[in-house]
Amino acid sequence: MTTTALPQDDVSPTRTQRPGRYGRGRTTLIGLAAAVGVLLAGLVVPYVVTDTYRMSIVLDATLLSLMAIGIGFLARHLGLISLGHGAFFGVAAFAVGVATTNWGWSPSAAVGFGVVAGTVVALLMGVLVVRASGFGFLMLTLALAQALYAINVQPSMREWTGAHDGKLLSYDRDLTFLGLTQADVMNPGLFWPFAWISLVVCATILWLVGRSRFGTTLEGIRENEERMRFSGYDTFLPRLAAFVLSGAVASLGGALFAINSGYVSPDILGFGKAGDGLIAVLLGGFTLLVGPILGTFLFVYAQANLNFGGNLHLFTGMALIVVLVFMPGGITIGAQKLYHRIRRGRR
Amino acid sequence: MNTAQLLNGVALGSLLMVLSSGLAMIYGLRGVANFAHGALYMSGAYIAYSVSDRVSFWAALVVVPLALAVLGVVLELVFFRPLQHRSHIELGLITFGLALMAERIVVLIWGERTLRVTPPEFLQGTASFLGVDYPAYRLAIIVIALLIAAALVLWLRYTDVGLHIRASSQDIETAAIMGIDVDRVSLIVVAVGAALAGLAGALAAPYIALDPGMGNAYLITILIVVVVGGIGSIGGAMVAGMGLGIIQTVATVWSPSFAVIVPYLALTVVLLWRPTGLAGKRVS
Repeated sequence: MTTTALPQDDVSPTRTQRPGRYGRGRTTLIGLAAAVGVLLAGLVVPYVVTDTYRMSIVLDATLLSLMAIGIGFLARHLGLISLGHGAFFGVAAFAVGVATTNWGWSPSAAVGFGVVAGTVVALLMGVLVVRASGFGFLMLTLALAQALYAINVQPSMREWTGAHDGKLLSYDRDLTFLGLTQADVMNPGLFWPFAWISLVVCATILWLVGRSRFGTTLEGIRENEERMRFSGYDTFLPRLAAFVLSGAVASLGGALFAINSGYVSPDILGFGKAGDGLIAVLLGGFTLLVGPILGTFLFVYAQANLNFGGNLHLFTGMALIVVLVFMPGGITIGAQKLYHRIRRGRR
Repeated sequence: MNTAQLLNGVALGSLLMVLSSGLAMIYGLRGVANFAHGALYMSGAYIAYSVSDRVSFWAALVVVPLALAVLGVVLELVFFRPLQHRSHIELGLITFGLALMAERIVVLIWGERTLRVTPPEFLQGTASFLGVDYPAYRLAIIVIALLIAAALVLWLRYTDVGLHIRASSQDIETAAIMGIDVDRVSLIVVAVGAALAGLAGALAAPYIALDPGMGNAYLITILIVVVVGGIGSIGGAMVAGMGLGIIQTVATVWSPSFAVIVPYLALTVVLLWRPTGLAGKRVS
């Protein structure tokens, strides 16, 4: 029995390519053109959303989306559900904090270091976990991320990561992040282009990787790992590479998050955070690339607006159950099914 | 290390043993990692608080498992049975949603502050055991938990229902073909699993402080116990639960900062060494 969480419906024509109508190269070109269009269109967001609070919500959602597309990539191409991506996001964030505050690095270099640190953790964790599948994978990623959380809040870590207090970033006034001072970097409108460009570029890269020969190999492994091995494919390295790639994307999100918010809470490594990320991905659905992004925006928006009376978890849990029970594949697949039903009705 | 510390480990291990055997039973039969198991344990503790406040602690030990068994029946009939053909991970995540809701519902009913349950009068002092003075209530936990574990093992080994449960956890499809009513078996298993979680909560209530985070605190540990013990193996879960309880308590005495990562370390080592767990037969 496979535990692949992908609902293989008959209504996913966007994923199954139709080589008769468009060539593979031509679809790629159309996709890239669309990505450039989306990228340029997104840059005007700070002029449309002028309210700083709203803008900060949009920015948060964009940075968390980086983690979500990483989780979605693994789920889509390998059928692996990860509860460990909060670790890469968090490690990258703390690494930025340590590099700027303890070592006096410039924020630009620190962000680079954060991404490298998160990716190295992804590599180490990947070596341990990618052989597992299904529930074993979920548990191992959860356990290793929890171990990092437990280590992080040890009193002996106080000097580095602030233990339970979290890490406040401080660096010299004349050190800038690609030209932005600390005050500018914390202004969501000014920081927006970095977040948006990162998200669109990463999403495009993941899309291209998914369409490549490598992506096809991954899907083969997802469908039947044993048969792929019999066919002469190495299945460990592709899985490890996919895991590290998705971890690197999440790390970029964490590094940018740290530099933007100026404070990293220890909760970022916790179970709750990892669960939130996964819930957002599932709400949006990971069959389509935009699903995790849509889910994260919805989730962050709802979190900012529905948190009256502290009932947030009640609503989150309900939304998760409703979507999983009635809309397998998430909101994007639900919408797609609805669209196809309407079109079929018209004919 | 002295006897008292070892007994502390055994007390924690007994609780983990009762909790994780229920989780392992549900996992073995439905293939679902029940993320709501921590929530069931927490509900058990809170209901025990209300009952022992109004009637007595002994009444709570009877009422709580019954109430939780009813919750288990609801869980089976509303979620597990209608959705049994979905992927197991999806079902597991639905229980994760239930756990999130339960955490808040408990706050709405009992409030956010920490609650305490007083143990029955004659168990409040200390008793002399193996030459040390040890809190009598903790000894009672150990005795009750071991009795429950023994009863569970005997039930699974020597009754028809137990035979059907073991057969269904081995291979649910073949069991159904052989004429076992797997829906009925599953209903029993989920109800008993939930009742055991509730009983563990009720037993733990006077021993720990009740707060809405207590379910999550144990959830990860018992999931680890079940995976270490060998997914779906009840005996494995019992041994791993007791072992982890003792190791963790002993490690806390030696080095508290090392003790917090013991469960995660144990999981990683065991899964790398034996990917199917200590008593593992298969990974589905």
